[in-house]
Amino acid sequence: MRIEVMPERCIGSGNCVDVAPRYFDQSDADGVVEVLAGDVAAEDEEAVAEAADICPVAAILLSLPSPAR
Amino acid sequence: MTSAETEPVWPFERTTPLDPPAVFAERRASCPVSKISTWNGDEAWLLTRYDDIRAVLADPGVSSDLTLEGFPEPSATVAAARGGQKNFARMDPPTHDEHRRMLAPDFKVHHVAELRGYMSELVDNLLDRMEERGAPVDLIEMLAQPVPSSVICRILDLPAERSDFFQDRVRTWMSLDNPPQVARQANQDILDYFAQVVDERLEQPGDDLISRMITNQVETGQLSRDELLHILQLLLVGGFDTTANMIALGTLTLLQHPDQLALLKADPSLVNSAVEELLRYLSVAHQVAFRLAVDDIDLGHQCIHAGEGVIAPIAAANRDPEVFADPDTVDITRDARRHVAFGFGLHQCLGQPLARVELQVVFSKLFVRFPDLRLAVSADDLVFRNSIIYGVAELPVGW
Repeated sequence: MRIEVMPERCIGSGNCVDVAPRYFDQSDADGVVEVLAGDVAAEDEEAVAEAADICPVAAILLSLPSPAR
Repeated sequence: MTSAETEPVWPFERTTPLDPPAVFAERRASCPVSKISTWNGDEAWLLTRYDDIRAVLADPGVSSDLTLEGFPEPSATVAAARGGQKNFARMDPPTHDEHRRMLAPDFKVHHVAELRGYMSELVDNLLDRMEERGAPVDLIEMLAQPVPSSVICRILDLPAERSDFFQDRVRTWMSLDNPPQVARQANQDILDYFAQVVDERLEQPGDDLISRMITNQVETGQLSRDELLHILQLLLVGGFDTTANMIALGTLTLLQHPDQLALLKADPSLVNSAVEELLRYLSVAHQVAFRLAVDDIDLGHQCIHAGEGVIAPIAAANRDPEVFADPDTVDITRDARRHVAFGFGLHQCLGQPLARVELQVVFSKLFVRFPDLRLAVSADDLVFRNSIIYGVAELPVGW
């Protein structure tokens, strides 16, 4: 699983930092989302998926890696 | 078929004090998106499903600008109270985002976490004072109000001795029982007070949030002095009564569910999950989430057209059985984190990290210090407050 964010949508609710603090932080300047690690470890996928689900402005996109050819 | 006479009219009465009006569950089961009337005879869509409520609150096609023609309001008094608000809660992008981001750093999760030590000491001191006073006490006076008011006074560097003034004006502003003029005046009193504070800070800046906003935003021309006053009004009304009512009603809920309280006492690590469940179950912000559609919104099973009002009650979303099994049951072990007690979309509560830490600190300490805490009156004698944020007037407790 890979994380992409759309900081232009972010309103700094901090939900993602609350539920998946290893992957998300907020900027000092405007509280907007920053990704700490883009690749999600298997054991953290549930927490990161929850972060994406509860983001009030859908600023977090998750993609699964393309299947190996 | 509905007619004007049979159509339910907002606001709906509760049949039991801690449950949302029964209309939400009835409509969710029969007709989840339906028209209702508001106090002035206007029609609005009532949403009752979690998915629809989240979808509408997050849709760029809804506006929070209550100056727009057709904007639905819960009552004449709330219309007056909110009509005096000119802050980002009542704005749409892009100005909303610009203003909110000026404040967001102060409410960052990690920034707020630094206040945990202060809050812990504050709550210990308040519990000491409660013990010294001796049972019975009003938990609202001794704990529920002082926690959020002390925290807000600290962030804004306001004198603690003015707490009673803030409390009174915020409560008056929130109340649904006052005539509109009284709500309007309470709003003006708060703005007048902040005008004086801002003038003082212009002369003598400190390192508080108000002084920093004067330096970084007002003096650079990003924000007018008047806009700052309205933002401060929002911080005050948003931060005072909301958390106070959650502390009081959260305590009441745990006392009325001894099995759940026993779980929390036995396993203190459940406190965060207990706080989320109490936020979900109580959904104290029961008169918020009114919007006006400014574009057509397709919910799949129903289209909402531009110009139509929408009411998206968070209590209806938080009791949706499709999302929360046995939604009317308090279960502090469930994962309730998906609740929308703080709203959803770009107006979701700015102060939620602060509220969470305040509630976590309170509920990790209250029943440790007073393991035998109990109601000092019959639950039937409690008086619940008819207010923008739901609450109880007094909560007499003993131990």
